[in-house]
This record gives sequence, C-alpha cells and structure tokens, in this order.
Amino acid sequence: MTQALEIRDLSVRYASKGLALDSVSLSIPKSGVVALLGANGAGKTTLIRAISGLLPLHGGQIVQGSIQMDGQSVLGVPAHTLVRRGLGQVPEGRLVFKQLSVEENLKVGAAVLPRATEKERLDGVYALFPRLLERRRQAAGWLSGGEQQMLALGRALVTQPRLLLVDELSLGLAPLIVSAIYKQLDLVGKTLGASILVVEQNARLALNFAATAYVLERGRITLSGPSEEVALSAVVKESYLGAIKQEREA
Amino acid sequence: MTHNVDSSPRAGLPWARTLRWLVAVAALVYLPTLLTERQIFGYALSNMQLLNIGLSQVNLMLITMLGALSLNYLTGSAGLISIGHAAFYAVGAMSAAITGSQWGWPFPAVLVAAALSGALAGLFAGLPSLRVRGLYFVLSTFALHYIVVFIFMEYQFKFFDVVGVPYKAAELGSWALNTPTRWYFFLLPLVVAVYWLLHNSLRTREGRAMQAMRDHELAATANGIDVRILRLKAFAFSSSIAAVGGALYAYYLTNVTSEFFGIQFAIQFIAMIIIGGMGSLPGAVVGAAVWLLLPSIINGLAAQAGDTTGLVRSMLFDHKPQLVQPIFGSVVILLLIFAPWGITGMVSRLQAKFAARRAKS
Amino acid sequence: MLIQVLLSGIALGSIYGLVALGFAVIFKATDVFNFAQGMLVAFGAYFAVTTINLLGLPFPVAILAIVAASAALGVIIHVVFIQPLSGRPMLAVIMLTIALSIVMRAVIEILYGLQGRTLTTPIPTGIFMIGEVRVSQLHLVAASVSWVCMAAFFAFFRFTPIGLLMRATADGYEAALVSGINVKVMNRLAWGIGASLAAVGGLFLGQLQIVSTELEHIGLLALPAVVIGGMQSIPGAIIGGLLVGLIEQLAATYISPKSTDIVVYGLLLMILMVRPWGLFGQRELGRV
Repeated sequence: MTQALEIRDLSVRYASKGLALDSVSLSIPKSGVVALLGANGAGKTTLIRAISGLLPLHGGQIVQGSIQMDGQSVLGVPAHTLVRRGLGQVPEGRLVFKQLSVEENLKVGAAVLPRATEKERLDGVYALFPRLLERRRQAAGWLSGGEQQMLALGRALVTQPRLLLVDELSLGLAPLIVSAIYKQLDLVGKTLGASILVVEQNARLALNFAATAYVLERGRITLSGPSEEVALSAVVKESYLGAIKQEREA
Repeated sequence: MTHNVDSSPRAGLPWARTLRWLVAVAALVYLPTLLTERQIFGYALSNMQLLNIGLSQVNLMLITMLGALSLNYLTGSAGLISIGHAAFYAVGAMSAAITGSQWGWPFPAVLVAAALSGALAGLFAGLPSLRVRGLYFVLSTFALHYIVVFIFMEYQFKFFDVVGVPYKAAELGSWALNTPTRWYFFLLPLVVAVYWLLHNSLRTREGRAMQAMRDHELAATANGIDVRILRLKAFAFSSSIAAVGGALYAYYLTNVTSEFFGIQFAIQFIAMIIIGGMGSLPGAVVGAAVWLLLPSIINGLAAQAGDTTGLVRSMLFDHKPQLVQPIFGSVVILLLIFAPWGITGMVSRLQAKFAARRAKS
Repeated sequence: MLIQVLLSGIALGSIYGLVALGFAVIFKATDVFNFAQGMLVAFGAYFAVTTINLLGLPFPVAILAIVAASAALGVIIHVVFIQPLSGRPMLAVIMLTIALSIVMRAVIEILYGLQGRTLTTPIPTGIFMIGEVRVSQLHLVAASVSWVCMAAFFAFFRFTPIGLLMRATADGYEAALVSGINVKVMNRLAWGIGASLAAVGGLFLGQLQIVSTELEHIGLLALPAVVIGGMQSIPGAIIGGLLVGLIEQLAATYISPKSTDIVVYGLLLMILMVRPWGLFGQRELGRV
C-alpha cells in the first residue's frame, strides 16, 4: 500500500555546513501521525525542507535518496506544485505574512483553490480558531505568538492538505496554548484523514500526539517505532529527561 | 646507477625560477621597443600580430591599473564596495591642476599632493561607512561620485574653460616624460611598486584583520580591532592611489574635462575587477589588461572586416567605437552568471584540477 | 514665478514617481536594485518613437504596443539575467543591472544612431493660462496619466487576488513558497510591471525632452527618489519621486540648471547619512 510519505536513504548536504542528513529513512502511512524528535541542529528542519522543496532556498542539496508523497516523487518539484498536490506546511517560526491581515493570510493560503470554495474553507478555519475570527482584520504582525501559530496552522489547513508538516509548533509558546492547538490539530487531522508529521523538540508533547516516532541525532535516525516504546527507551529518557525537567522548572 | 627523479613541478632546477623572472623582466623591458618599432629581432610584425596595441595604450593600461588595483584592494580585501571610484581620479586630476598648472609645482610634488588629497577625499567618502553598510553604502559612493564630478566641472569652468583643464609637461627633475617609452619606464616600476605595497599591506596584521573583517565583522571586533577605523584607513589608502592615477592620467592626456570622469568611467573599473577576478590583486592586473586588449582587437577585426558581408560588416565598420561598451558589458554579464570569480578565479580552478589529477597519477 | 516652478515640479515629479514606483515594485518583490531602470525609461521613449512616428500606428494601438513590449522586456530581463543570479550577493546583481544598462544603451545606439529624435504624439502640447500662471497641457496630461497609472497599480495591488499574492511574496519569500505561491511568476510579474511603468514614464519624458539615451540619466533619478522616500515603501517611492521633481525644478530655476544633479544627489547623500531608510521606510539592516 502506498504510504502518504515515504523517505528512503535520504542524505542532504549544505554548501557551507556539510552533511546534514545521513541515509535517513522514514515513512508515514495514510492518515498516520508521526513524530520526529531531536535536539537543536539534529536535522529535523532540514528534513522538512527536503520534503517541501525549500532546500535550494537555504543552500541545501539532496545528494542521495528518494522522497515520495502518495507514491509520487517530490524531488525537484517546485514548492508551489507540491502544495497543489496536497502538501501543507506549518513552518518553523510560523512565517505569517506580517503586513497582511489575518483574513488576507488565509486567503493567500486559499489561492490555490477554486474561488467558490474559498469562503467555506475560511469559515472552517474560523470555526476551529475563533480567536482568528475576532482578529480577522488585524495585521498578522500584531498577533501574539499563539495567535500567529493558529494563523500559520489555519493557513495550511485551508487547502485541506493530505500531508501536513508541522515544524516546532510549541516553540516559544505557553503550554496551555500549545495543548489547545494540538487538540485542534488532532481534531482536524481526524476529520480530514490527513497524514501528519510533527517535528518537535518537546518530546513528551510529540509522543503523546503521534502514534509513531523517529529520533534524529546529528543527521541520523537512531531510534524509531511506536511512541510508547520510544518513550520508554533509555536513550530518549536520558536525552529528554533533561528537557522535561526544564519544562517543569519553567 | 641511481637517478634522483623528482616529478613534482615545484621542485626542479633551483635556478629555473630566477630564470623565469629574468625572462619576464627582459620581456617587459623590451616591450616598448617592440611596440614602437613593430619588429622583433629585425623581423617586422603586422598590426594584427601585435594585437593592434600601441605603447600609448599600454601606458594608459598601466595608469588604469592603479585604479583597478586600488579598487580591488578596497572591494575584495576590505569588503567595501564603491561604484564611484572614478571620483578619486577626478580628485587627483583636480589637485594636479591646482598644484601643477596653477601653482607650478614640480611633477613629483604634484603627485604627492594628489596622493594626499586622495587620502583626504577617501576619508570623507568612507565616512558613510560608519553609519550605513551594504546597499546604502554603495549608494553613498554613487551619490558622492556625482558630487565630486560636479565640483570638478565647476572648477573647470571657473578657472579654465569648456575645452578642458590643461596640464604642463611632466618631468622628473630634468628628465622630461615626453615620449611614450619614457612614460612606460616611469609607470611600470610605479605600478609594480604599488602592487608590492598593496600586497604587503595585506600581509600585515592589519591587513589580515581587514580580510577577517570582510568575512566576519563580529570576530574581528572581538579581537580588539576597531573595524571602522580599519575601513576608513583602507578607503583612504585606496583613494590616494587612485588619485595619483588620476593625476598621471591628466598629465598623460595633457588635457581633461569633467566628462572624462563620468559614471561610465567608474563603472569600467568595477567591470575590470569582475572580469579579472574580484578581491585579488592579480585580478586587477588581468582586468586592466583585458580592458586594453578589447578595443584593439575589435578595431583589428573591424579593419579585417572588409571581406565579410552584411550585418556583421555594418556592425563592425559603422559602429566600431560603440561596440566596445556592449561587448564589455556582455562579457561582464556572462561572467557574472557563469564564472563570477573572474579570469584569475577560473585559472586557479583549472590549476587545482590539474594538481588533483596529477596527484592521483 | 514660484507657482510656475512648483507646477512643473509636480508634473515632472509625477512622472518620476511613476518610474520610481516601477523601481520599488521590482525591489520589493525581487530584492533587486535595478540600475537598468533608467534605460527602461529610454526604451519606453524609443518604443514610442518607433510605434507612433516610425510605424505610424494609431495612438491607442501604439500605447498598447509600448506597454506590451516593455513588459515583455522586463520579463525577459528577469528570466534570462536575474533569475540565474538568485541567491548571489547584491553587488553581483547590481553590477549585472549596470552592465545590462550598458548593453541596452549600445543596442539603442546601434539601432537608432546617436542623434536624438523628436517624439510627436497626439497629446496636446499647447499652453493655457489660469490667471497669470501658464500651464502646459503636456505637463497636465503627463501628470494625470501618471497618477491614473499609480492609482491603478494601487488598486491592483490592494484589491485583486494576484495583487494579494504579490504583496504576500514581498512580505515573506519563504512564507510565500510555503503557502503555494508560484514565486517565479510573481517575480516576472513584478519585472513586467516595473518595466512598463518605466516605459510610460519614458513616453512622457521623451516628449518633454528629446528621445535619446540621455533619458537614462533622467530615469535614474528614480534611484534617489526611491531612497529618499524609503526603499521598501511603495507610497514612499511615489512621494520620493514628487520630491525629486520639485527639488529639481526649484534648483534649476533658483540656483542653476546644472546644479540639479548635485542638489538631488547631495540630498540623497544626506538622507543616507541621517536616515538611510528614507522618509517612509522602516529601519532595516544594510544588505550585502
């Protein structure tokens, strides 16, 4: 059965920094939810960029391996085409259009859709995140961190993607807001039947959310499997116990 | 019987290197004779064989090389980009007009005065770098260029006339620079000396700091080096050399107008260093040499174009003078797209490839 | 008379504003500081001479041809020359646009010769009086058309879906990629618009002056206009254009005709020293 996402032996090199990913393999089944864990600089964002076609923008290059979305290769395919094929992305740092209003941000996301469906999709996002509806005319740059994260997620969801990449959703946000957003993400995922790849430094969060997990360390997958098992592994406990401790102290 | 065979090219006969230097020096010394008499060892050479180059053009190339060297020093080494470099030529020419034509100072003193005024102008031009960087700084050099040329124009019309600013004959003491050959033997050592000066300046602690500054401004600052002062120094140094170039230019041509220093002139310098290779002194030399060869080759081709027909013929014959600029421009464009490291960069890449290949075998 | 000078300043300033707008669109969208904008103005004037005077096309057709040709030129420049240099340092791109302007100038000189040409169009060139003030009809038409074009662009930019995508791309390049915008098309669109705005400016400037490559010099006044107004600001570019027009006319009248360059560029220098992000721009780190 074709996987929603199938990555095989992927190696990526940056012009200035050398090999960032080394023979990485990962797969997401249809409607599956997968977590990708790892410390800062492990290569998680590189993997996301490789999938969504943003590597050239950052000076990166795929030196070997294959990436297939729904059985079709995405290598060399321009980013905007992938969006039309059903790829959605909530990038690290949110990357909302700061000078555009909330509504305009969503409209941009909807640009690939036929005009007729735009209103319905926007309403769907507003139902999911009522706070966005309140602030629909405000410039996105003025929103709080949590609201911007909702907006970035909403913008990606407008197209009802089949594969959704979520990069560091929790970064810089209060735990309450984060869990609220993850709840909505869970809801939407189930409704749409979307496959989701969640990249997180916050291991506990990701392991709670996803059914399967992969651990990335310095460009290599060191551990993978069902989340419960991964959570119990000594490696993860050691590496991320510290992270959980910091969380409690914060 | 044992042989001491060493196939590496670096080793080899110890006096081979000295020999190569001697041949180069001999060639350079013989060059003016070659170009003025158009014959080698009694064997006459046609214009085309000499690439249509005359000694006069070689001299102009040497004068221009000063500008290219100083610009590459500034741009490549210190990381400052100046579109208005021709302005310093104008400063030098104006200073030479004041000290030489108006006050009657002797030639060497004129050159020194030009250097000083260039340094001063460079300090002033470098001031914006204390405030802004990058694109804004480039724009400031662009604006300054217009302003300096305007000042020159005002000076020209106030003290002289529309024909231009005249210059006296150049002489070093009693030795007058009144033939191209004499100019050549004055300019060549000067350019070599300037090259040597710049080359060594890059090797000093300050010089290396500057190159560090180009790449990592924060790191250089952390080392206790005041980056901003270094930048100003680099600008002053570079501009003083360019000003000397400007004074020489004026004396060589004996008459200049403000139009000589237009933005076209400034752009040619940048084109030169892009073609030759940015950031390296050899690149400046190569770039200036290309600037010399190109018009001559085109003129030579035009002269030979009697046989070709139609469009090519009309392009070459009727538009001879206008072809230099677009061809220059196209070369720059092609290089920027395909080989931004210039000719010297391409050469060093080829050398690296050969070395790697030889290392394998 | 002061009012006289102010009126011509506003008229010329409107045209400069149009050219500066084109420049700002290109800069905001593709991050390219287009030194060839001056030559695009000249090209516009030469397109005009060719279609109106040499080919004798009816005026409306000629206008369409000019706009189409210049837009196509802009797109071609982007695809052939600018796109290969994406990701390169800014100096390389600036040098490319400068080299391009040199080549463009030579192309014009080869095709049309060095002599200037006169551009005659159906636009009235008479003068009418309002009280004691002489108003040039050409100025009036030029200014009005420029404002109409600028307003049209504004409407396009703010209210149409494609305008929204352009604004988004200018706001965040990576964000645009992530959202599925075809940024290549956006870039080409920006260059097409930027070039055709310059061409319309060239049409008027060509009629106010002689059509020659010297128009490049006038077109380049868009540079100080954009910097003074604020490089990242579209309204800033227009106001910068107006200011440059006014200052130029005031300097030409009250100081000397030759002083305009130094006054405008002197002002540019001052702004760079004191407030480099321009009157309406926002603080930003120097690039390169």
